[in-house]
Amino acid sequence: MPSPLDLADLPFLREALLELVLLAVTGGVLGAWIVLRRLAFFSHAAGSATFPGLVAADASGVSPTIAGIAVALGYAGGVQRAGRGGAGSAASETARDHGEATALLLVAALATGVILASDVFESGAVVDRLLFGTLLGLDTADLVLSAVVAALAAAGALALGRTWSAVGFDPDGAHALGLPAGRADLLLLVLVAVAAVAAIPAVGALLVTAIYVLPAAAARMLTASIRGLVACALGVALAEGIVGLYLAYWLDVPAGPPVAVLGALVCLVLAAVTKRAAA
Amino acid sequence: MNGTAVRVEQLAAAYRGEPVLEHVTFEAQEGESVCVLGPNGGGKTTLFRVLLGELEPTAGRMELSGRPAYMAQTERTRLDFPVTAFDVALMGTLAAGRWWLPPRRPERDAAAAALERVGLAGVAGVRFGELSGGQRQRALLARALVQDAPVLLLDEPLSGVDPASATLITGVFDELRSEGRALLVASHDVESARSFDLVLCLNRHQVAFGAPAETLNRAALEATYGHELIVLDDGGGTRAVTVQHHEHGD
Repeated sequence: MPSPLDLADLPFLREALLELVLLAVTGGVLGAWIVLRRLAFFSHAAGSATFPGLVAADASGVSPTIAGIAVALGYAGGVQRAGRGGAGSAASETARDHGEATALLLVAALATGVILASDVFESGAVVDRLLFGTLLGLDTADLVLSAVVAALAAAGALALGRTWSAVGFDPDGAHALGLPAGRADLLLLVLVAVAAVAAIPAVGALLVTAIYVLPAAAARMLTASIRGLVACALGVALAEGIVGLYLAYWLDVPAGPPVAVLGALVCLVLAAVTKRAAA
Repeated sequence: MNGTAVRVEQLAAAYRGEPVLEHVTFEAQEGESVCVLGPNGGGKTTLFRVLLGELEPTAGRMELSGRPAYMAQTERTRLDFPVTAFDVALMGTLAAGRWWLPPRRPERDAAAAALERVGLAGVAGVRFGELSGGQRQRALLARALVQDAPVLLLDEPLSGVDPASATLITGVFDELRSEGRALLVASHDVESARSFDLVLCLNRHQVAFGAPAETLNRAALEATYGHELIVLDDGGGTRAVTVQHHEHGD
């Protein structure tokens, strides 16, 4: 069994640890709103939607980050546009109501990405890295992107948290208060989509949910206030990220799967405990 | 007092080009209460959406003495959302336009005072979803009160409310009227409409408008509700009730 201190001592693990800490900040701050505004499926789909773009960018020499963000922004804008016209329809409700379209996009994006990777660009090795992430090869640009996204998520939550809360609680009432509900929701979708892109190098497109949804879902079972949810989700995301990274190092596997399995286990145990306590 | 709070002339509205409300003309003075009666799909909520500026009218004009406050139906709220009664009342301060800043002391005080006024000071820290139906309605009323609006639009505020809460809510309505605020109350309850200053009957167009004694007659109510109306004659006077199912978003 390797020493846990290796996480701080070994340079490549130190970078991976820093990346997971930055993602945990985003996961705590933004994850709370993803869970509260029922955007879990959207965040999962946003990561997957970028997959074919990342494969094409990787093969053609274009910056994967720019390509991923461009696709993610297009996806967020599309969901927002689909919601226009409904009385008081918030983006989260729109994302949920368009579940079939989201699922279709998800399947099409994954299939297109795999075809591009294996048959067109013959870069099948890229697929594993994009889908499940890697500890190796994280560069400064990845860390900078994660830091910027964490800062944007924190700033966005500070400035728009009251609006997101009012819209999530009562969309009709929020519109009547004169809040910029549509723009605030669009910004939330954009933040979630860009955050998904930032998480792909570390945990992969398929496991974005592990860092952004599972910690907040676990925290939701532990606290009854929005402030408590953010703090608790941040703590859970940090703990799961660090332990998951150690497990990945120990088992010699990509970081995404251990973090995801750990997050799922924590949620399942908490659900069982809270259900038993309520009975 | 007694200035015009709401003036609407030949107002019409449509959803995706389909007319849903036409020829609405009425006026309410400061301190007056208007009961907006109509069947599901009759245009009550549509009228409120137009008055709130959420829906652009396709014809006509309207004037309000200030930005109205809106009290939604509790069924439209998310009971699992982690907000307390105080948080809900505090949301009313967002109407002032400082939505990007944390609430200041005066805003917190206004929310606390509104909760006190609707009798919820003792449960300010209780989650909205754990309140009784009547308490939830009162928390939403507190959110509207915080806005200090000259006109209040109240969407079925007494629907599913316990008698104690109903008494308290109607008491607050009386106070608001005495303060010179105009109240527009959407309701299904024909009998309760008799206690309002004015009644506006809608069925995709304006059927009648005026004092209850002039408006709540059999012909107007039948034109408003059609087959959904039952007129009871119990010896003590004629009463009208509707048999429609409760729905939203009309």
